[in-house]
Amino acid sequence: MAVLPMKRVTIMALKKDRKGVLEFLQREGAVQIECKMPEDDVFRKQDTSTAKTLFQKNAQVAEDALAVLDIFAPGNKGLLASLNGRKELTVEEYNAFVLRRDEMMDAGRKILALDKELAEIRGQIPKMIDQQTALEPWLSYDLPMSLTETKKTAVITGTLPNEQTPETIYTQLGEYAPDAEKVSVDIISSSQEQTCIFLICSKKDQPAIQDALRRMSFAKPPISDMNPKEAYDELTRKKDELRKRESQILEELAGYGDKREDLEFASDYFTMRAEKYEIISTLDQSRRTFLLEGYVPAKKAEHLKEALTRQYDLAVEFNEPAEDEDVPVLLENNAFAAPVEGVVESFSLPGKGEMDPSFLVALFYYALFGLMLSDAGYGIIMAVACGILLLKFKKMENGLKKSLQMFFFCGIGTTIAGFLYGSFFGDAVNVIASNFFGRDDIKLAPLWFEPISEPMRMLVFCFLIAIIHMFVGLGAKAYMYLKNGQWKDAIYDVLFWYMFVGGLVLYLLSVPMITGMMQLSFIIPASAQTPILVVILIGVIGIVLTAGRESKSWFKRILKGLYGVYGVSSWLSDILSYSRLLALGLATGVIAQVFNKMGSMLGGGIVGIIVFVLVFLIGQTLNIGINALGAYVHTNRLTFVEFFGKFYEGGGRKFEPFAVNTKYYKFKEDVDL
Amino acid sequence: MSIANLGVFFALLGAVLAALFAGIGSAKGVGMAGQAAAGVCTDDPGKFSKVLILQLLPGTQGIYGLLIAFITMTQIGVMGGDANISVYKGLLYFAACLPMIVVGPVSALNQAKAAVASIAMVSKRPETFGKSMIFPAMVETYAILALLIDILAIFGVSSLAI
Repeated sequence: MAVLPMKRVTIMALKKDRKGVLEFLQREGAVQIECKMPEDDVFRKQDTSTAKTLFQKNAQVAEDALAVLDIFAPGNKGLLASLNGRKELTVEEYNAFVLRRDEMMDAGRKILALDKELAEIRGQIPKMIDQQTALEPWLSYDLPMSLTETKKTAVITGTLPNEQTPETIYTQLGEYAPDAEKVSVDIISSSQEQTCIFLICSKKDQPAIQDALRRMSFAKPPISDMNPKEAYDELTRKKDELRKRESQILEELAGYGDKREDLEFASDYFTMRAEKYEIISTLDQSRRTFLLEGYVPAKKAEHLKEALTRQYDLAVEFNEPAEDEDVPVLLENNAFAAPVEGVVESFSLPGKGEMDPSFLVALFYYALFGLMLSDAGYGIIMAVACGILLLKFKKMENGLKKSLQMFFFCGIGTTIAGFLYGSFFGDAVNVIASNFFGRDDIKLAPLWFEPISEPMRMLVFCFLIAIIHMFVGLGAKAYMYLKNGQWKDAIYDVLFWYMFVGGLVLYLLSVPMITGMMQLSFIIPASAQTPILVVILIGVIGIVLTAGRESKSWFKRILKGLYGVYGVSSWLSDILSYSRLLALGLATGVIAQVFNKMGSMLGGGIVGIIVFVLVFLIGQTLNIGINALGAYVHTNRLTFVEFFGKFYEGGGRKFEPFAVNTKYYKFKEDVDL
Repeated sequence: MSIANLGVFFALLGAVLAALFAGIGSAKGVGMAGQAAAGVCTDDPGKFSKVLILQLLPGTQGIYGLLIAFITMTQIGVMGGDANISVYKGLLYFAACLPMIVVGPVSALNQAKAAVASIAMVSKRPETFGKSMIFPAMVETYAILALLIDILAIFGVSSLAI
């Protein structure tokens, strides 16, 4: 349970070894490189952005191509495949891959080009269909649609709104263009919405006719040099060609399915190189040497030095980080506490001078989770499922592994709480026994008590846990003070509060009304009240005098001290907050009971059994989902707000070593990156 | 049917109103958060599991309402047993259900607003997921307190001999 001590490392090496040293460091993944030296006349930074951008672009091409393949040539990834972690490559495999990197990139670009072409085709086809629809009414017209005149006549083609007959058209033309002499109108097609007409008139009448047509809401047709039928067929032909090309592309893309591994490798490879060049740009380099600074966990320091000096001519130096330095944080814990490191990290990593709270968090986390989910059946399912996954997929990624381990322990906590409360899929044992075997007397007896029949007792138990949990938190604060030699602060901020809050709790337990309300079987004798009051008083006076100790003026100091005493109200609300243990615990049990009751409504018999099994499966699955989520969220809340509120602030920066940050592959030792 | 028989009616009214109002609040709340979550998923389907958890947070009030309704119903005997309670006791049960009837929907809706904001937070900065869960969970505290008083009151009333 600790924040690993870090050392500052400085490496001075020859430029010819730069590639080798950096690749060694990247493979080791033990050093977070941070060069803080300013540039001067000798040491300069090198601009590598061109190379870096190129590598990033390549990686992006590979990623995009993979995204395309996911759509058109989905691999047969099982649901659990992601648990397998990254594939491992040997040196030979790696080298074989590297030799083919250009070929891989070609494949990637080709895939992207095909995808682009496909998108274009898929955009064009609907357009052609639209054009064809526009041509359809004109199919029986056998002249080119661009024809506008003969020697003596004007030819007008177009559409009029609504369904029209030649008579109605002639009537309207006569009305709007009474002077026009010879007009001939042919109707090519007509439907409810429009009528397509072909009109011939003498050239001198054309303006009048056109004016008349405009007033009849005439519209021009789709223009084409060919006649409509030819144009239509041409479109069909083109469309078919595109369709053919589309299926060809789809086939081609599907054929690239076996390139998935190549592309994954390319993505990893170029990401890695981009990261390396990113690092190179931060190094201080002279003409023949370069200087590298960074942080390394102290326990890895010697190994690093030994390995580096064995291979290269260089100087390695380790220093203790300065007091005010913002050293990156890496946690290390035993198997019991390590799973909750993620929880701690999602709040904040320990800041300067703070302890790693993981062990304390773990101690309560599994128990609080268990009390909230509190059903033996659910707990067993959780623990067994996580256990099997952990055993079966040994190579899974670290983060996922920790989460599963955490839920494994939470499952154990839940199982224990469930047996204490006598809850196994709610009251399933009793319901099944009485419904199908006629034995009302069989039920799972609680090892301790049933919260649903004694909610007050459960509530008092919650408050007890609250006080223990928060007092442990306060104790951790004292521990940190003492470790830093601030024993006075430990008395002021911790001991006085122990006396104040602890005394108040004890005093309440000596008042018969309170113990009666809480249905406690014991009471602190009234004779103890005076000493308890004295303890409380010392605590209060101590807090009044010291809570504002950073203020110089005594007036201000006392005012702040009084405000500090007021902080007891937050203790009250914090304690009450633990009543969620009762509420969520009851929720699980009661909802499970509701489903059991619903399932057993049809009584015994075959139909009854079938209905019961169905309702049971669906209902309990739903319940475990909803309540596990609730338990998870509220365990985090109790940890973050109530527990951390007492001692932990965080603010540390995560240790992010220069390493092989790949997505798909990992490499065995000695791979020449 | 005389006035004297209305006891069970008032008690049941309290029970179903708790389920009803808390259910309405949660349904609206989960809906609001769901819209925000779906928006995030269109951009990045990989955040599905995170935003799903945030979406479900305002759903618990509905469960608490159900819990209150169920406990009340078993206590007053509508789920089997003797459903004969006095008008006075029926009204007491009704009063006992009031916290969830009022606080349930209000907290669900406000929790939903916090959840929507948290979903936006996760969409921009996925690493803050742990923190983003806490904001909506803070609102839920008051629903839990209401639930607590409900439960204590219902069990308290049922032990009264009136």
